[in-house]
Amino acid sequence: MTQPEQTGFTAEETRIIRQRQAARSRIMGVVLVALCVLFFMITVAKIGVWG
Amino acid sequence: MMTTATRNITLPAEWRDFWALTKPRVMSLVVFTALCGLLAAPGNIHPVIGFTAILCIALGAGACGALNQWYEVDVDAKMARTSKRPLPAGRMDPEAALHFGIGLAAFSVGIMGVAVNWISAALLAFSIFFYAVVYTIWLKPNTPQNIVIGGAAGAFPPVIGWAAVTGDVTLLPVLLFSIIFLWTPPHFWALALFMKTDYGAAGIPMLPNVAGQRVTRNQIFAYSFPMAAVAIAPFLLGESGWLYGLTSALLNLVFLALAFNVWRNEANEAKDMKPEKQLFAFSILYLFLLFALFAFDRILFA
Repeated sequence: MTQPEQTGFTAEETRIIRQRQAARSRIMGVVLVALCVLFFMITVAKIGVWG
Repeated sequence: MMTTATRNITLPAEWRDFWALTKPRVMSLVVFTALCGLLAAPGNIHPVIGFTAILCIALGAGACGALNQWYEVDVDAKMARTSKRPLPAGRMDPEAALHFGIGLAAFSVGIMGVAVNWISAALLAFSIFFYAVVYTIWLKPNTPQNIVIGGAAGAFPPVIGWAAVTGDVTLLPVLLFSIIFLWTPPHFWALALFMKTDYGAAGIPMLPNVAGQRVTRNQIFAYSFPMAAVAIAPFLLGESGWLYGLTSALLNLVFLALAFNVWRNEANEAKDMKPEKQLFAFSILYLFLLFALFAFDRILFA
């Protein structure tokens, strides 16, 4: 992945990029965990453990 | 995409911009009508599967919003109401919006098929295609009948919710579809009347811009009657109880009275279009109440 420092971004732009990447990564993490829980619950529901 | 006077610099979009791309307010109405269709359907659905079905419908609606905004970036930039969206405001790379929309569409249809059933997945896929291709690309920029035919895209959610439970489509979900289908023209034309200059600036052939305000007001009033008839039909056909029959009759009377006020109005300026603004505001409340009462009635008396 191209690093911001290698593409001629200023220090302020680099800070903004890092900040946005971190926020998006956090959201992506939450979404992936939620999907794991959902898929597990769908599987349990489909095999009828909870009736 | 952030642009300066001297350099073209692409910064990654914020997660909030991706959220805005899904048109959350439109999504809320879609989720609500789908939930009502699901609750009104006969039979049982496991709560987890029911939740998954509604989630997939919400994601499908989000995909429609993203694909619509990706395609209409130039149009959105010309309208005050839409110019601050992520793409026309330059906060996002169009390619990211396209990938996001296609990804959401594929994911929602796939999960719907695997977890719920393939009938509802097929309906979801068709509704996304209808909104993104038939409405956005074909109808909207080319004909004043855009929202009449395109209204079908917004009418699918209760049918999908119903099909998630039963795996089929019968008369009642078709009636729910018809209510939204016939509600869409008066709802959007009321908006188009007092936003005429905005749509005109963007070159979208809405009915007031093409056929004039008198014809639009006539059409609004004319469409309100079949809409009211279809809205009361579930009660007349014995598919709902007196609670829905009584309240839907009342809601339709108010809708018709407001549509009558629009029909009588001769104003040309947006500031004098109080009846149009009242009808637009009430039409949203009308649909929420009608579907909520229908689902409540079915749960109570079915």
